[in-house]
Formats: sequence, structure tokens, C-alpha cells
Amino acid sequence: MDSLRSSTLIRPVCMAAILLGLSACGGGGGSGGGSGGPPGGGNGWVMGVYPPSAHFAAQCQSPRSGTDPVTGRPYPDVQGTTLDENNWLRSWTNELYLWYREVPDVDPATYPATANYFAILKTSATTSTGHPKDRFHFTYLTAQWEQLSQAGVDIGYGVTWDLQVPAPPRQVYAAYVWPGYAAAAANIMRGAKILNVDGVDMINASDSASLNTLNQGLFPSNAGESHTFTLQDQGSSTSRMVTLQAQTVTETPVPIVTTIPTPTGPVGYILFNRHIATAEGELYNAINQLHAANVTDLVLDLRYNGGGFLDIASELAYMIAGPGPTAGATFDQQTFNDKNPSTNPVTGQPLTPTPFHNTSQGLSSSPPLGTSLPTLALPRVFVLTGSGTCSASEAVMNGLNGVNVQVIQIGSITCGKPYGFYPQDNCGTTYFSIEFQGNNAKGFGNYPDGFSPQNSITPTSAVLPGCSVADDFAHALGDQAEGRLAAALGDRAGQACPSPPTGIAPQLHAVEHAAVHQPPWRENRIMRR
Amino acid sequence: MILRLGPSMFCASVLALTCACEILPASEARPAVLTNPTAQTRAELSRVVSEALHGAPVRLAEDALAHDSVLIIGRVQARDAAGLPLNGRELDKPQHFRLVEHAARCFLIQESTGKRWRLRSATCAPAPGSASG
Repeated sequence: MDSLRSSTLIRPVCMAAILLGLSACGGGGGSGGGSGGPPGGGNGWVMGVYPPSAHFAAQCQSPRSGTDPVTGRPYPDVQGTTLDENNWLRSWTNELYLWYREVPDVDPATYPATANYFAILKTSATTSTGHPKDRFHFTYLTAQWEQLSQAGVDIGYGVTWDLQVPAPPRQVYAAYVWPGYAAAAANIMRGAKILNVDGVDMINASDSASLNTLNQGLFPSNAGESHTFTLQDQGSSTSRMVTLQAQTVTETPVPIVTTIPTPTGPVGYILFNRHIATAEGELYNAINQLHAANVTDLVLDLRYNGGGFLDIASELAYMIAGPGPTAGATFDQQTFNDKNPSTNPVTGQPLTPTPFHNTSQGLSSSPPLGTSLPTLALPRVFVLTGSGTCSASEAVMNGLNGVNVQVIQIGSITCGKPYGFYPQDNCGTTYFSIEFQGNNAKGFGNYPDGFSPQNSITPTSAVLPGCSVADDFAHALGDQAEGRLAAALGDRAGQACPSPPTGIAPQLHAVEHAAVHQPPWRENRIMRR
Repeated sequence: MILRLGPSMFCASVLALTCACEILPASEARPAVLTNPTAQTRAELSRVVSEALHGAPVRLAEDALAHDSVLIIGRVQARDAAGLPLNGRELDKPQHFRLVEHAARCFLIQESTGKRWRLRSATCAPAPGSASG
């Protein structure tokens, strides 16, 4: 298994299967045969003929019993076979997969493992830059997918890890430290490089036992666990050892809101890390604060924001652009496959665009549902990006572009995920198969390789004005001297971009065929060779 | 804290409790926060929220409902092999629960259903800035 080919942000608490190789399933057909058989095999399979998926639904090799916590009703499972599950996947994919025409029709009886069959039910096409068109094809144990949490709450130390180089010789840094938790108490600061966890060499270790140790240390599963880290602080030539005890942590999704005075007017800065429910109120307060400060420009730092609630993305875009360009305009329009041109095939509702929300949608406890949102009414926005800028964060950028608010991108290439799913359970596995693309008011949503600043060494097909700038661990986020923020302020002042970083491949996440069957702390999230 | 109770809470002056079989005069219920929550309180809160959501396990903060009368519940953030959220375009809404206080008793209300539970091990006080009703 290869390593990730990208700079990978790892949240402290992560439910992530970070790193390579997710052990269970996936991987493209290991045990199954594969290349298809003659039409009309003896098991009922007829090439190109797809019975309704409902015909096979909940017919399980291992039926569940008890109550489904999502519906409150008994699980619908009945005794079936692996072939039934494969047949369901085949038909479901043909009904809903965005690129169903590009999926090979392979006899489901030739795959004794459903996970391996799912892995081939996707397009093998590549993008214009040669990357896989579909990098987001997952399974997850339903029992884990259905686990619930208070918004923003998880287990960790209050630090966001960033795997700059995920394979040996590995480079792992503290990217953002949340105040009030164990990492901050140990004086860990942004830019601290992790050298060793519980006696295992972070940089070079590669055996499974070592990887487990590293994972368990970086991503503890229980409050109260203690792990010992050797780290090198930014700017220091020596290392030090700290012991961190995991605890329940609550993330603040908008931790920094500030105003930067400049000769041409005050500039607002917002660090926005996650589109979680509580972000609605924090963004509302942030925009009110910057509105009161009469900012004339905004730097929106999304470098570590992998997305979340699309409604929050819409609200934020509205608050940046104001009512002028957004009135009656589309923020994001779902487009499903050509079998479903006008109706959402999952909800059965007519396909209507997500507007720019000008009132709160009631995700957070305040402001109350329906509250008019404040606006900055800016004609442009500087967005700081990285490979962790994904999904709903990219939707903010694309949505604003769609109504001619200029998006100036400072940083590195975004993740490239204009797609979405309605995760679907069958027989205890929840499947994520791309079902729709989000397009902006201009009908644009084609950024499968991510957005790239115009001077990138390896630009994607979706280029924005701005500057390619590496992450700067030597400075705190929000510090005017921090590389990306400094470049944004410089661009605003008419200065040329700094030289773009070289030798960095486009930061696409290598997650094809990924299957997350274990809690992350049980996975080989870190480095499998 | 702004009170935002579900319509069902106001449709009658007296409402029966789902679990505790006690009477909660809606007009006198006030948004509340927990005071001095104990491990027993947190366990009861977790159990009640899980019960409201058909038994799914729920992770809560140590200070849940200690500073805010609203508890927001969503899925645990599942991430892909790259550390990114599996579903970065969420289209649904989280569940909201609200803590209210009446006659020195604490009740948890599920906003989407209007169901309510008395938290027997909890003590609570009116949320800062809250008003009756």
C-alpha cells in the first residue's frame, strides 16, 4: 500500500483513518475475480439488465437483529446471501451513481466479498490532470456511522495534527492548538514537530506494531489515556518530552476573528475550521464583529476546513457577498445522473437549488432560526487554502464565484470534492458512492482536482487568481507575518506573489477504494509501506 | 440565552411528561443550565439523549448543558483516509435538546418531537438572560 501523496491534516480527535491503508475491504478486487463473464450467467445475472435495488435490499448474509437507532424500528434485515448484497449494490449503483454509465457490469457472483465488489462499482476514468475521477468511494460500518456526539465534541488533546509528509521519512506537525486542553497546557504550539510517540520513531517507523502505537498515541480513543511524545518546537534545535492525557474536547470552529489595520482600510481575518452546527452562531458573531469594524476586505482562512453543513457554507457566502449579488441567485445546485434530471432520487423532492441563505437556518442554539444575517457586502474575498480545504469549503469559493464575487486564492490546491452522497445502509454497511455534483449559479462545478492559485507549478483545471504559498508553521495563524496571510495582504497592496513552492505534487488525497471499517484508533492510519 | 421552544410546548398550558408522569406547566418552564453536574448527572443525561435517539451511543462534553440550555447532537465526525470528513456536504440538520427548569426540577425537551424527560439526578438554574415561558 502506498502512502498518502499529500499533505494531510489530521484533527486531534479524529474519526479518521488517516493514512494509508485502510485495512479492511476495498482495494479493488482482491479476492473476487473480476473481469466479467458471459452475459446471462447461471445465477440470474444478465449483463446490462438491472432489477430494482429494492428487490435485493436488506437480504443479508448476516442479518442484524434489534432496533435501528436511526429509524427506531426493527432492522429490516432478512436472511440472504452475499450474492443478494452484491446484486443490491449493482442495482443501487446503476440507479444513483453519478457516473453509472462508466461502471463495468461485472457478474456479482464472481465476487465472494461484497466489499471487493463495491470497490469496482465506480468509474475508472481520470481527470484532465490524470488523477482518478472518483477518489471518494467508501464504506463504513453502519453501527459506527450512526454513533452520535455533541456538536464539536471528541476525544483528544486539543491539537490538530498535520501530516506534511506521511511516509518515511515522515513529517508530522502540530498545526493548530486549541486553548484550554492538554496540548496547550504542555506548551505545544503550532509548528512543533513530532519525533517520537510512546517510544516509537515517528519519522522512520514502518512495522505494523509501531504504526499502531503511533496511531494510538496521536488519536486516543478514551479519555484518560496517557501517551508520551518527543517533539521539537518550532525554531528549536533540541527536543523535549511531554506526556499528554486524552480528554473530552470541544472544538471552537471559528477560533480567531480579528481586524488588521492597513493604510487602505481595516481587513478582517476569520479562521474557520469546521462547518459544524455551532459554527453558525460563531460566524454570525464574527461577521457582526467585522461589520462593526468597517472592514473593507476579508481574509477567510479555510486551510484546515474539510467541510460539513452546506447550509452554513451558504450562510457564510451570503454574509460575505451581501444581498446585492445573491438575491434570488443559486448558491449550489445538485446535479444527479441523467436518470434524475429534475427530481432528487433519494428524497423524491423536486431538484431546487440551495439559495444564498439570508437568514439563520437553526443549526446552532443562537441566533434563533430565521434571524436576518449580517453582511459585509464585499466584491472580493481572499481565501487561504490547503489540501484540507474541501467540500463545503470549496462550495463557499465556488458559490461566490458564481455570483461574480472575486475569490482570490492564497495557499495550495484544494482537495477537489464538488460531490456529495446520501450515505446508504444495507445489511450493516453504509455505502458512500458519489451521487451528485454541486454547481454554482453559473452552472460550474467541475473542479475534481481542486482549485489552484494561478501561479501554481502544477495548476488544475480550475484556476483562481492568487498566489501559491506553502503553509508557514513558523508563525501563528492570524499573525500578519504568517506566510499565507502575509501573501494575501501583500496581494491586496499590489505586491507580487512570493515564489511558488516547488517540488510539491498536487495535493490530492489518495483515498480511492478506501473503506473505513474500524474506528480510526483500530486502523493502520499511519503509514503502511 | 434566547428561548426557542418547539410549538408543542406552548399548545397547552399543562403538558404530560413522557417519562416521569409529572406535570410541567409550560408557561412557567424556563431555559436552564445544569448546576454542579455530577458523573451521575452526566450519565443520566447521556442515557436520556440516547433513549430519545433510539439507543444510538452518544458522546457528550463534560460540561454539556452547564453553560448553554441547548444541546446539539449530530453524528460523530467520520473521516476518510486523508483525514477529511467522509461527508463534507451535509444536507440534514442536527438534533436539538433544550433544558428547562420548573419548580426546582430539570426537564430535557427534544425539539423535533416535543418529548420531554425529567432529569432526576440533576440540579439546574435558569439560564443567564432567560425569561419565563
